[in-house]
Amino acid sequence: MTATAAPAPASAPTPGHIGARREAFAGYLFIGGPMILFLILNIGMVLYALYMSVWKWSVLKGPLAFIGTQNYVKILSDDKFWHAVQNTLYYTVIWVPLTMAVGLFLAVVVNQKIRGQTFFRGAFYFPAIASSAAITVLWIFLVSPFGLFNEIRGALGVNPIFEALGYGPNQDWMGDYHTAMNSVIILNAWTTSGTFMLFYLASLQSISHEVYEAAAIDGAGAWQTFWKVTFPLLRPAHFFVATVGVIGGLQLFDQAFIGGGPNGEPNGALSTIVLYLYNALFTQINFSYAAAMGIVLFVIIFSATLIQRQLFGRTPAA
Amino acid sequence: MTIAGRDNLPSAVAALAQPRQDAAAPAAPAGDRGRRWRRRLAYVILIGYALLMFVPFAWTVVTSFKTLPDSTQLTFIPQPFTADAWGFVFTNLRPAVPIMFANSLLIAGIVTITNLTFGSLAGYAFARLRFPGREVLFLVVLATLMIPDQLRLPPMYVLFSGLGFTKGILAYLPVILIAAISASSIFLLRQYFLTIPKDLEEAARIDGAGFFTTFTRVMLPLATPALSAVAILQFQGTWNSFFWPVVFLSADPNHWTLPLGLTEFTLGPYAKNWPPLMATVVIATIPILILYMFFQRYFVEGVAASGVKG
Amino acid sequence: MRRALAFAMAIALITVACSAGNSPGTTGAGGSPGGSVAAFDPAAISGNATLGEWDSSPAEHSAVSSALAAFSVTYPNVKVDQTTISGDYRAQMITRFGAHNPPDIFYVNAEYAQDWIDQGFLAPLDDYIAKQGFATSPFFKNYLDIFTGSDGHIYGLPKDGNTIAMAYNSDLVSTPPTTMDQLVQTAQSLVGKPGIKAPMCLNAALDRGLAFLYAQGGSLLTADNKAEAIDTPASKAALQWYMDLFKNGLGVTNKALGDGWCGEALGKGDVAMTFEGGWLLGFMQTTYPKVNWKFAEMPTGSSGSKVTISYTAAYGIGVDSANKDQAWTALQYLTGTQGMAVWTGGGIAVPSRSDVPVPDGFDIIVKGAAYSKPGSGFMKGYNDVQTAFANAFDQEITNKTYNVDNVIAATVAAINKALAG
Repeated sequence: MTATAAPAPASAPTPGHIGARREAFAGYLFIGGPMILFLILNIGMVLYALYMSVWKWSVLKGPLAFIGTQNYVKILSDDKFWHAVQNTLYYTVIWVPLTMAVGLFLAVVVNQKIRGQTFFRGAFYFPAIASSAAITVLWIFLVSPFGLFNEIRGALGVNPIFEALGYGPNQDWMGDYHTAMNSVIILNAWTTSGTFMLFYLASLQSISHEVYEAAAIDGAGAWQTFWKVTFPLLRPAHFFVATVGVIGGLQLFDQAFIGGGPNGEPNGALSTIVLYLYNALFTQINFSYAAAMGIVLFVIIFSATLIQRQLFGRTPAA
Repeated sequence: MTIAGRDNLPSAVAALAQPRQDAAAPAAPAGDRGRRWRRRLAYVILIGYALLMFVPFAWTVVTSFKTLPDSTQLTFIPQPFTADAWGFVFTNLRPAVPIMFANSLLIAGIVTITNLTFGSLAGYAFARLRFPGREVLFLVVLATLMIPDQLRLPPMYVLFSGLGFTKGILAYLPVILIAAISASSIFLLRQYFLTIPKDLEEAARIDGAGFFTTFTRVMLPLATPALSAVAILQFQGTWNSFFWPVVFLSADPNHWTLPLGLTEFTLGPYAKNWPPLMATVVIATIPILILYMFFQRYFVEGVAASGVKG
Repeated sequence: MRRALAFAMAIALITVACSAGNSPGTTGAGGSPGGSVAAFDPAAISGNATLGEWDSSPAEHSAVSSALAAFSVTYPNVKVDQTTISGDYRAQMITRFGAHNPPDIFYVNAEYAQDWIDQGFLAPLDDYIAKQGFATSPFFKNYLDIFTGSDGHIYGLPKDGNTIAMAYNSDLVSTPPTTMDQLVQTAQSLVGKPGIKAPMCLNAALDRGLAFLYAQGGSLLTADNKAEAIDTPASKAALQWYMDLFKNGLGVTNKALGDGWCGEALGKGDVAMTFEGGWLLGFMQTTYPKVNWKFAEMPTGSSGSKVTISYTAAYGIGVDSANKDQAWTALQYLTGTQGMAVWTGGGIAVPSRSDVPVPDGFDIIVKGAAYSKPGSGFMKGYNDVQTAFANAFDQEITNKTYNVDNVIAATVAAINKALAG
């Protein structure tokens, strides 16, 4: 590692004036490419949406008349929008912790030195591999009234349990207002658990063996070790997974669209914020209303992220 | 860019703390008998769950060998067994499967490389270089994940068609540019770089290495696990992506990627042609599977192996 | 499928050969002296145009290709570039309108035709129609009306159309009912019959329910489409009659049967009768070829006259198009007798003109066109009305309350909101 030449020359980077400037320049250079793309394709779009939301907008002619906060006021009294918000929040609040828990569980399991570790790693990640459209279509088929899931549970004889919960033998899981969203939650938890598993797996690797040994010496059981030692040490992983999960969850669209069509059938059970936004764009053809919704959504997501940052604490900017 | 949609999975590895460990299991206390039974039960459950993961895929494969009337039945054995659907997929599609495969490969490949390049450079900068406004700019980066694609659709299309990027070979550009660098790649790599001890950089600095050399000679080699993670997730996300390709690439069938090809299998407004649809899904899934099985090894071992250094 | 295509090509060649001698639109280029409007002769046009389509199946793409191939024989100077718009057609097209580069000529579905007309996306076609002397009378009037704007201009010409008819399993139903009363009787006789799960597969929404509403003397809107008419004794009675079919177990939804749609229910043998459009034919031929079934006209209800509902789509021209002349040349061919014959010859679509030969198996469907009412596109915001109706109706069925008052209330609210906004 000790390189050639250059014995302590004058150009040694001591935190001096010139050094700091060189470093800043390098910093800006390194982030330059992405920032330009982000500026045009993302930030620019947010600003454009903000602009669109305060004008009466014609698709062909663009801005027609300035209407200020009219769209935002309309959003406040729009039942459908708030119904969509309710659905989306319900989804996020349940799906994120559920998938984190499953992912963490799988990671801990796969982390054991067990036979077939590689096989399990592959198997558990498998659902995340296929395209979401294909998996969703397949899922709808599998959980339909006479689909595989209902057939199998009938054959296994577990139907009485389901009956007790109020579900008949031919329950239409995706087509019934009461179960549609929960079905989507389970679908997405199942498919994304593999990815979360990977993240946790990597984090688990970095926990020092000595920590576990110390816990064992102190007489901690497996369960205790996990909760008191492992779980807290994974805090940074929790933060990322939760943050990214919430950002994604609040933007649920694909499964809602494929399963419920543009209106989030059945009965609006699958209506989400982005789905309603899409509806505003292409069914109502009201671009400025859609833009206003996008801004509101952006604010919701940003706030959620900031809150999470407070709760989980910032990652040490070492 | 949503996890729910999973077409461009954001990654968030936090391979934190001391990057040196053996991939050891947490020691469990004694109690052998009970432990053995628990282990056995655990194995059974695990194997059951793992097999469950494969059931839908098994269904997909089986259906691809059925005839259309048979495919609506809930049987796991095709009656009759036929490879007609596969033949159909390889001879009758417009465009041919190899073309779609090549398009998917091209786009996913380029996007993966740009994500690795830009992601690591920017991730390193946000982690280790000091420059004014760094924290605010990083928040801006995160904010790019918070605007849904659906809202960006109209202005994005106006932008690119105004530039003429909707005709001919230029049509690939919007798809690539939009996916070229994802905030999640930067996020992931930043977090990973944060965990690498500073002394390594200091040593390189003392030896006279500039920022770029430090980056390429010291930091990058240490970041293999994170880079592998980005590679897997970006490739797979782009490979399966449908939204932007359908906007910019659907006009010319020769530009279609595999997910676009899946739309070829509708039979009228209500029905799908299941057997060849399933065959195409299998074709689309296999490369990712291979990629994953290849990379996942690096992913975990790399973290452990990096402990050897320093 | 291939046989159908060959058939289509044959028709194309025959029609082209027969008309080889005449050039359509025969007025001279210079116009006659005396100050009359300059005439439009499509044969004199040359140039390019792009055509945007949405493929419901690969067979549809081939059918359009055949039609365009025949077009290029008749009009060798106009080159039409076929483009497929995948995914959500409506969203893609609106996006392109916003960027001012849609295809020159493209599909316009009845469902959103009025919306697109209002937004100004479509170019009016009256001038071309007048200058060329293109006759619009052969089009089924209720198809054509959908594409007429509130300003009286024509913004699209229907390229095909479908009506809802009764489809019945001829092994189970020997004589198809011709009146609604007979329908009920036939259904009652099928209750509990082994092998089927229910007599009929019915749609718990306006997609098919509207036809029954009309048949039984009810209506959704007043004749001028300006106010709701569902909250009337006649409509209520009609609606209740339809609801009672579900109540008495004569009809069930496809969801309750576990089928993707009612066509599948018929094919699988879960029901003996259902109500679908011409698309059922291709589906049954490919997916359930062994089932014996037939189309029959919608039974006549208490309104006394035959009625059904129709779904149609047109070709329209973009208002921004730089190639309007060329686009019109294509449009008038594709919706003219020759072009439509090629397009529909293979059984992919059903003609929207009365002077085009009816493809095999579609007689009933085309018959219905003469007396059908629009099933979509007759009011703005119909989508919301449909959703409100469907949700309320479905609730009544799920809760087994079978009360149409709630359905009417929800629908009235939605109609008023749509008409106002």
